[in-house]
Amino acid sequence: MTPITRDRPFLLLVALLVILSVAMPLLTGTGLAPSRYLTNAIGQLAAFAVLALALDLIWGYLGILSLGHGLFFAIGGYVVAMYLLKHSFVVTGTVPDFLQFMGWKEFPFYWAGFEFFPYALGVAVAVTLLVSGIFGYVSFRSRVGGVYFAIITQALVYVAMLLMFRNDTGFGGNNGMTGFSVILGQPMGTSGMITALAVASLVTLALVLVGCRWLVGSRFGALMLATRDDETRLRTLGYETLRLKLIVWCLSALLAMLAGMLYVPQVGIINPRVLSPELSLEIAVWVAIGGRGHLVGAVIGALLVNALKFWLSSAAPDVWPFILSGLIVLVVLVFPNGLMDLAKFRLTRPMGPKRMEPNRMEPNRMEPNRMARGIGEARP
Amino acid sequence: MTSRHLPTFLAGLLVSAVLATPGAAAAALDRAALVAGLCGNAGQMFEAAAALTATAATGSDEDRAWALALPRALIEKTLACDAAGAVLGNGSLDAVSRAVREPAPDARAPVLSLKNRAVFEQADAALALRSAPGAGARAAALRMLERRPAVLPEGLLDAAAAAESDPALKAQIVGLAQTAALNASDPAARLRAIGRIADNPSRRALAQMTELTHDPAYAANAEFRAAIDAATRRIERGIAMGDVLAALYNGLSFASILFMAAIGLAIIFGLMGVINLAQGELIMIGAYVTWMVQQGLRIVAPALLDWYLILAIPVAFVVTAAIGIALEALLLRHLYKRPLMSLLATWAVSLFLVNLVRVVFGTQNMQFETPFYVSGGVPVIGDFIFTWNRMFAIAFAVVTLALTWAIVRRTPLGLNIRAVTQNRDMAACIGIPTRRVDMMTFGLGSGLAGLAGLALSPIYSVNPQMGQNFIIDSFMVVVLGGVGTIAGTVVAALGIGQINVLIEPLWGAVAAKVIVLLMIIAFLQWRPEGLFAVRGRRK
Repeated sequence: MTPITRDRPFLLLVALLVILSVAMPLLTGTGLAPSRYLTNAIGQLAAFAVLALALDLIWGYLGILSLGHGLFFAIGGYVVAMYLLKHSFVVTGTVPDFLQFMGWKEFPFYWAGFEFFPYALGVAVAVTLLVSGIFGYVSFRSRVGGVYFAIITQALVYVAMLLMFRNDTGFGGNNGMTGFSVILGQPMGTSGMITALAVASLVTLALVLVGCRWLVGSRFGALMLATRDDETRLRTLGYETLRLKLIVWCLSALLAMLAGMLYVPQVGIINPRVLSPELSLEIAVWVAIGGRGHLVGAVIGALLVNALKFWLSSAAPDVWPFILSGLIVLVVLVFPNGLMDLAKFRLTRPMGPKRMEPNRMEPNRMEPNRMARGIGEARP
Repeated sequence: MTSRHLPTFLAGLLVSAVLATPGAAAAALDRAALVAGLCGNAGQMFEAAAALTATAATGSDEDRAWALALPRALIEKTLACDAAGAVLGNGSLDAVSRAVREPAPDARAPVLSLKNRAVFEQADAALALRSAPGAGARAAALRMLERRPAVLPEGLLDAAAAAESDPALKAQIVGLAQTAALNASDPAARLRAIGRIADNPSRRALAQMTELTHDPAYAANAEFRAAIDAATRRIERGIAMGDVLAALYNGLSFASILFMAAIGLAIIFGLMGVINLAQGELIMIGAYVTWMVQQGLRIVAPALLDWYLILAIPVAFVVTAAIGIALEALLLRHLYKRPLMSLLATWAVSLFLVNLVRVVFGTQNMQFETPFYVSGGVPVIGDFIFTWNRMFAIAFAVVTLALTWAIVRRTPLGLNIRAVTQNRDMAACIGIPTRRVDMMTFGLGSGLAGLAGLALSPIYSVNPQMGQNFIIDSFMVVVLGGVGTIAGTVVAALGIGQINVLIEPLWGAVAAKVIVLLMIIAFLQWRPEGLFAVRGRRK
């Protein structure tokens, strides 16, 4: 792997993020400042980029595709929404809509303490680690992998969606939660707060990007790549991959949770739709389009696809699904490594020997019929 | 001729000899005496009314037809009594012989007392219920009889119910008959009625029994109380059994749908390691093709409209199989070595298909005709109704299972499929065209999804999103059953279908899904390859 100091796309992206997060507050009040809508959009895109990095870490570098990352995103989102509602209630006395809707007089007992941000953060981390830890442990221990793992994670997020659609769970039911007015003691919805949230997202993105880059460049990262490329060989050499996979899986879940915590205050609502299998599949699409196994690619993929989505779902909502499916087909057939192929196309010879190399991004270069039984290996 | 008359005659003799009750005696109705009673004093008129009601219950068809006009004539004062008997109203027919004659000049219309008016109205209604030609008139008569069911002669309603041709009216008559018998003055008749009600357990029967525990006889009469308690227990047992059977039946029909949705998925997954996320959309397309066949028949051959579900079978199969083959040839062919990417690619296809259908047909539910062979059902016990639309899905799944099994086990294509599933490289080495087998199998799996869509169109609502409701459950079937085995798919579909339906009434549909998923994850700890693993080369 290229040393960090010579990884030009990475350095460029980090520089861009730093410049943006410094410039946005400085420009406030001058004529050059981006509009509220644009600022908000930039912040949301940054949150999505963090989500894409989370999936890229587990899929691009470990070869494990999760179609359920929306679950961890939603855990972060719901916890932060609970914090915002309880905090707003304590500061302004506004009773949340869903309590009135259910005819409840007070918050359910498990909402206790959510007005304190550190407690809410702690709960989010604990729940994420609990869910991802247990699920990851039982799945990786029984060597569930490949397509099996992907569809079980999809079922997981689908079941969670059904659960959250219920109105009696105390999490807002199908209407979700909205009406956040105060965050950390400051009123929400002001230009200053919008900029602050966007900058917080950009800074988080930059930090996560640098952190991931450091991780994949370390010895640990080398182990991840080894697991992705030939897990059997690694295990034969005596290395237990369960712990490695579990750590990366939980880390990835935490990053997705972080993205959810950044996203919800900016969009102002959370409902069970974030748990729909479609959103979780879309995350995989961002990463695939940007290029799996490239952190910069994942960020760019998330930014491009979502910017296109923001634009098209207001300009031509009926066309967007067709464009999205077209993009996916294009990526899987023509550019298996996403935009990174496009970049290589330009930088090197079009039909250079590198393009003839077998695709190293695939988790397991086995025959498909044996791949199907990837979970059926002998157990220790 | 004589030989046909003789037994009737003997039977008549026998009946008159054995049954000495007044009702049976009316078999030989003394018409003249009855008409004389109608013209008599209040007491004689009351007895005549009772005789008329008895005729309605047990009289011969001719007697009933003869008697039909009498109470009405009396009520409407069109009966003229004279010395020679009586003359019926405007047609000037003799009341007894029905020969044309003018009434005597001193003829008078008998006056009904208030008490007698009620019994004559009842007699009129009883006769009308048995003999009126129009269903409307019979329904009106039934409404009249419902006012005082306790005084009706035993057997009247049962006989009326047996002869009734209109099913709705028949059900009403049966219901009234039970109520009437329950409230009869004769304790033995009440006990018989209780027994009869307990024969057909339902929640309504249970409510009737509960009501009877407040009857004074319940406290006073030990025999009556014992009968009620025994009947209540029987009904409760019947209802419980009905609930269990209904749950099993619903589970079976859900399992059939799951099986049909999953079998194509399982075969494709076993062969190519590809999970087709568009399988749900192929189901949806199958249902839409069925709808289009129905619409086509409506225009081309309205006489065959009822058979659209059958006629659509080949069409749905061919259309979805063609889509599947196209999908394989254009897209998945390039992705066999990248199974995770094939997930994304098939998702793109599913997104495309859902939105295409949404744009073309709109998001509303499609309207389907209900042919006679999938409408209604047979009530079995308690609240369990053996409905034909679910039976259709079950039968369809069984036939599909048999055909799939035959194709995989008994045809050259099936032999190739099994060979490639077990070891692709070796199969290719011995000359099996693996790519063609892939394509054919994909077509087969997709066609099966189309058939699933057809089978569920009489049960579930058909709209562009319908595929998504089944797809995750069918993944679970594949994961649980093991890859590429028919037996595993059957067992897993039955298991998941039954567990879903059994848990649903206890904790709700969502809890059922959560529990099923947790059970599958736990199960994979124990058997990661699913219930039935194909013996193939392990890596």
